[in-house]
Amino acid sequence: MNTRVMIVDDNEFIREAVEILFQSEDIPIAIAEGGKECLDQLEAGFRGIILMDVMMPDMDGWDTIREIVARGLYDGNLILMLTAKREPDAKMDGIQIYVTDYVTKPFNPSELLDMVKYYATLLNEEPPCHESQ
Amino acid sequence: MSHNNIVIIGVSTGGPIALRKLFAGLPRLNAAVVVVLHIPQGMDYRIAKGIEAVSSMPVTLAEDGEFLRAGHIYLAPGGYHLLLEGNHRVVLAAGARINFVQPSVDLAMKSLSRPLKGQIIGVVLTGMGKDGAEGIRHIKSMGGITMAQDQKSSAIFGMPKAAAETGAVDFVIPPDKIGKKLVELLN
Repeated sequence: MNTRVMIVDDNEFIREAVEILFQSEDIPIAIAEGGKECLDQLEAGFRGIILMDVMMPDMDGWDTIREIVARGLYDGNLILMLTAKREPDAKMDGIQIYVTDYVTKPFNPSELLDMVKYYATLLNEEPPCHESQ
Repeated sequence: MSHNNIVIIGVSTGGPIALRKLFAGLPRLNAAVVVVLHIPQGMDYRIAKGIEAVSSMPVTLAEDGEFLRAGHIYLAPGGYHLLLEGNHRVVLAAGARINFVQPSVDLAMKSLSRPLKGQIIGVVLTGMGKDGAEGIRHIKSMGGITMAQDQKSSAIFGMPKAAAETGAVDFVIPPDKIGKKLVELLN
C-alpha cells in the first residue's frame, strides 16, 4: 500500500501503537502531535489518510478539520476520526461531511488496518474521464 | 422489471463501509436505488467505485435530468441537492444547505410523492446529526416501508436513532439484514 497515513494524536502511546501497527504492514506513516502540526504537514504537501484524534489541547480534531477545509487542504485526503467517545459531541455545522468514518478507541488493530486499506483503495481511484467532442 | 419501485438510502459518516456491507452479495434489485451520502465534491466518484466493486448492480453518480432505471444504483454527487421529480427523474439543485449538509437526505426523501404503483422503501444508515428523520416520516406517511441501521453496527448512531425516534421506522437492523429485507420485499 503506497498511500500514506498520518496519525494526529496528542497521546504518545496511541501514536506509537498506530505507528507500530502500520509499519508492520509497510504502510508509510506520518506523525503529528496536534492540529497545528497536522496543518503544517498538509501545507508541506502530505496527501493521504488522516487518522484524527478528537480531543486534543489547543486545537481539537473538529477545529483542525475546519482549518483544513478553510485553507483548501482537504482535496486528496480522507479523514477518519479516532475517538474514545461512541457518540460525537461536535456542533453539527456541516463539518461532518469531511469525516468519512469514525473509529472508537480502544480500536481493534486488524479492523483499523482493514478499514484504512479499504479507504486507501478508494483514495487511489482516478477521477472519471469526461469525453470531449 | 418494474421501474416503479424506489429504494432511497440516506447515510453519512461510516457510510462507505455500511453501504459495502449492504450491497455485497445482493442480487440485482427490482427497484431503482438512490443513495444520498453526505460527502464533499471529489469524494463521490470514489465511493461509487467502492460500492460497484461489491455490487451486482451498476453504480453511477446521478446526473441532472436522467430517468431512474430499475437494477441501478445512483449516488447523489457531492455539492448538490438531489430531488426526484415525478418519482423518476433526477433533479440536481444548488441552494442552501439543509441540516447543514448538501445533499440533504430529508430533501431527497421529501421530494417523493405517493406512487400510483410500485413501492417506496426508505433507509437511514450510520451518520452524525438527524438528517433523514423527516424524510423517513414522509415516506411512512405515504405508505412506504422504512428501515434504519441498528446501533451496534453503526459507526455513529445519530441519523438512524433520529429516524427511529420518529416512530415511523419499520425495521431497525444491520446493513446485511437490510439487504436481505430489500430482496424479500422487492424480488
